[in-house]
Amino acid sequence: MQTVLEVRNLHAGYADREILKGISFTLNADDFFAIIGPSGAGKSTLIRCVNRLVEPKSGEVIFNGRDMLKLTPAELRGERRNIGMIFQEFNLIERLSVMDNVLTGRLGYTGTFRSIFRLYTKDEIKQALVLLDRVGLGEHIDKRADRLSGGQRQRVGIARALIQNPKLLLVDEPTSSLDPKISREVMGLIREMAREFHIPVLCNIHDVDLACDFCSHVIGLQDGVKKFEGPPAKLDKQALQEIYAMEVL
Amino acid sequence: MNALSIDARVDGIAAGRRRARALRFMSTFLILAVVVWSIEAIVIADTDWNRILTGSLLSTMQRFLDLDWSLLPDLWEPALETVLMATLATLAGLVLSIPVAWLGASNITPYGKTSYAIGRFLMTMSRSVHEIVWGLIFVSAVGLGALAGILAMAVRSVGFISKTIAEAIEDVDPKPLEAIRAAGGTKFQILWFAILPQIIPVFVGNMIFEWDINIRRSTILGLVGAGGLGLVLFRQMAMSNNGGIAVVILAVLSLIIFGEVISYYARKAVI
Repeated sequence: MQTVLEVRNLHAGYADREILKGISFTLNADDFFAIIGPSGAGKSTLIRCVNRLVEPKSGEVIFNGRDMLKLTPAELRGERRNIGMIFQEFNLIERLSVMDNVLTGRLGYTGTFRSIFRLYTKDEIKQALVLLDRVGLGEHIDKRADRLSGGQRQRVGIARALIQNPKLLLVDEPTSSLDPKISREVMGLIREMAREFHIPVLCNIHDVDLACDFCSHVIGLQDGVKKFEGPPAKLDKQALQEIYAMEVL
Repeated sequence: MNALSIDARVDGIAAGRRRARALRFMSTFLILAVVVWSIEAIVIADTDWNRILTGSLLSTMQRFLDLDWSLLPDLWEPALETVLMATLATLAGLVLSIPVAWLGASNITPYGKTSYAIGRFLMTMSRSVHEIVWGLIFVSAVGLGALAGILAMAVRSVGFISKTIAEAIEDVDPKPLEAIRAAGGTKFQILWFAILPQIIPVFVGNMIFEWDINIRRSTILGLVGAGGLGLVLFRQMAMSNNGGIAVVILAVLSLIIFGEVISYYARKAVI
């Protein structure tokens, strides 16, 4: 199978505190990876190192055949267009309409001047509309983002990530702000869309049951170290204890 | 579901976006037109272009560059006086601002719309009267001198300080308030434990900002006989000693830079 993302010996952190201590894994096309682990294990830092929202200290992040850590700022922006991101708190622009929020996913393809006048092409508007219909928000396109419920807001976030036509989806705790029923709906939607568009997914999630139900592969992090990697079936009680055992200092 | 075809809906959305864009464009254009018209009517027509274009502007500026450093030893005491005046005025302004902010913050104002309106009116009154006018009012009340200047600045400070405090109070995160209320806290305890810690950073920053504005105000208030650097400045102006004026202005500048440095560390310590 084709490799989409390869992370090798990734280190991240500050001078006085190491957050990631040498993480390696390989993500192939059609994979749906869950990263689990206790708070502060470095889950969020790990996925943010992939698109360099957080600058890693050392290591390699091979995406699309290139090492992300060696790109110039302009090349990095170009590569970020190929990586969609879905956020825990949705990160919508509250004062803009649902349609305009989704279209911000096209900003990487829109020149600064055109974007000031919100001049998106008709094809982009059509794609936004198709995606909004698919996530079930076809009736809400003119509403302001702050008038939507949590589940609806995350659906806008999903449509915004997909309109980039990404080759990889980074998903950061998509369900932490949602109730259990909506959480399952949102996870189901992300999996369904990922399969339909053949996008591999790297998903932080603290809820182990959700991870096992929706993901094809699990990485367990603890204190910046990979403690487990394998299919959900292999994630037994002992493995979980290993991941979630807190060292008493 | 939608009866319309997807392309028809896209056309509808595109048309709506064009209309919205046209509206944004029109309003921008309108504002620009007003700006251009104002410049034409007021600046271009009313300016003595001969004077500017013959280079007298530069020669005037040059006269100020011939600094009169002999003044420097006599500036220490007025500078200290200015700092003390600005500090006293800012603190007095703060004391006056607390009740005004309390009245003028819509979420904690005690008697609904009535007290809110009173609070907002006091803020507006303080801001809409110029410090010189406040100065003249207080000079006629307490006579020439530093006290009139301090009172003028204090009253003038209320508008800014109370407005920013009130707005910070209105923007606080309501969750901690809920927690204190749920624990059986009184209104005062809510204010003290849930609201105050949240507004401290804004508060300190704005106090220091207002202090720095007051240093500049005190120089203008020399006009009404308030002491400090302002008085020195106006004496130099009366003597038409351009080099001296420039030195006093530099002294004010260094005071304000000094204030900036203090404010950087003070904010860091508090936030």
